Amino acid sequence: MNTQNLMSPFKILGILAGLMTIAACASTEPGCPSPQSRNLDSAIGFVKTSLNTGCEAHFDRFYDDLLTIAEGDPKPENKRIFSEFLLWSGDQGLLSTRQAQEYYNRFFNVKFMSMKGDYNNCSHTCPNKQRVLFDMERELSDKERGLLKVSEDRDGYYRADRLYQEVELVLEATCTACAASR
Amino acid sequence: MNNKRPLAIASDPARRQATLGLLLAGTLLIFAQSVLANTPTIRLFPTTVVEDLKQTGNVARDMETGLQEIIGRLDQQQQLYVESKCDGAENDAGCQRLARQIGATYLEMLTIMEERLPDMEHTVNNTRISLERGLRNELGKKMTPWQLQETLVGKTVASAPAQSSPTLRGRSGMRLSERFKQYYQLVATSGSQSDQSLAVLASDIYLDMEETSVLIERTRQEIARATLMEQLNQSFGIITPEMMEVVGGVKTILFGDEDARALVAGPPPGSVEQAYRSPLEQ
Repeated sequence: MNTQNLMSPFKILGILAGLMTIAACASTEPGCPSPQSRNLDSAIGFVKTSLNTGCEAHFDRFYDDLLTIAEGDPKPENKRIFSEFLLWSGDQGLLSTRQAQEYYNRFFNVKFMSMKGDYNNCSHTCPNKQRVLFDMERELSDKERGLLKVSEDRDGYYRADRLYQEVELVLEATCTACAASR
Repeated sequence: MNNKRPLAIASDPARRQATLGLLLAGTLLIFAQSVLANTPTIRLFPTTVVEDLKQTGNVARDMETGLQEIIGRLDQQQQLYVESKCDGAENDAGCQRLARQIGATYLEMLTIMEERLPDMEHTVNNTRISLERGLRNELGKKMTPWQLQETLVGKTVASAPAQSSPTLRGRSGMRLSERFKQYYQLVATSGSQSDQSLAVLASDIYLDMEETSVLIERTRQEIARATLMEQLNQSFGIITPEMMEVVGGVKTILFGDEDARALVAGPPPGSVEQAYRSPLEQ
């Protein structure tokens, strides 16, 4: 009995080690590797095949991989390549239209998806102003990646940066005005 | 016998032409109305704001003119005080006389400010309240965040030149009257500006008015307190560090501080290429 009691912690450790090994194997997913090519078109071809063969759950990682590959060869037409890839993903049923728009606009559009909302600014945006601005700041760094580093669209990125500053100023004034009526 | 005419206009060419003309005009009117309805126009600057800004500029200019000579005199007296090594020699009769002179000039400055500030406070508050109403209704209550963003971006995202937008905050280095003159000019010509510029401009002026309003209120309180203190100090001939601070503050507000002027770097030259528009773009 005593020996059995002494052994149980080792058994537990063994089980934990086994579980960790399984988890580690699952995270590397030998069936869904990242694209190895540095050429964006080839990488997209590879990703499309992977997505069609059971790796749909890895869409986010693949998208990130493709952005990294595109950063290695930045050019304006990369915008079109990513747009076509996302439209294809929508056609394949991997993404909804809304998701495809989110993926595209977050990285390649001047406008901020963080500024989406169905209610007026006084009632919805102002009470969450800090969160909205924080989300916009994070989105701006994605735009830096998509517009500046991937598509070489400096004008677009600097317009987005200016838009962020304008929104910050206008929201400060508008929210002060909204609060003054209370 | 059938006297019934299916369409009265068919029988008379002149009347037919006139009716068709009316129909055409009506159609055009409806079309124009629908176009106007689709054009977002925000009303942020009523005529009263333009007048208030002009008035505030005038009051500020009068105050500057009145104070310029006194502040110049104060600077000279202070310089003389320092050069005479009066710091630490307050008991010296000459230094006491100098200190009283400085104190008297300081009182003169406070009196002029006390006289002019109520007018200024009134016009600044009027401007602030009008803009506040406009911002709350037009941008706060009538718009969603997405609409606000679209207003700021404008219709032509890619081709909008950065220079056309008004400068953002940071006018602390400017004369007060010059600041209001600039505001007045910007607002008076606002009809030619896009909604995007107007929203930023209105926000900028409103926040500035908020600060100015608070500053004026504090200054008025401070003047009342400082006047009393200085009247007491006159009997002893003391220059307080507070006095120097107030004078410094007034100079900065009225005449600006060159060091505080913000430098805004422009974007680096980017390659102007035909922008790609994705069908996913919103």
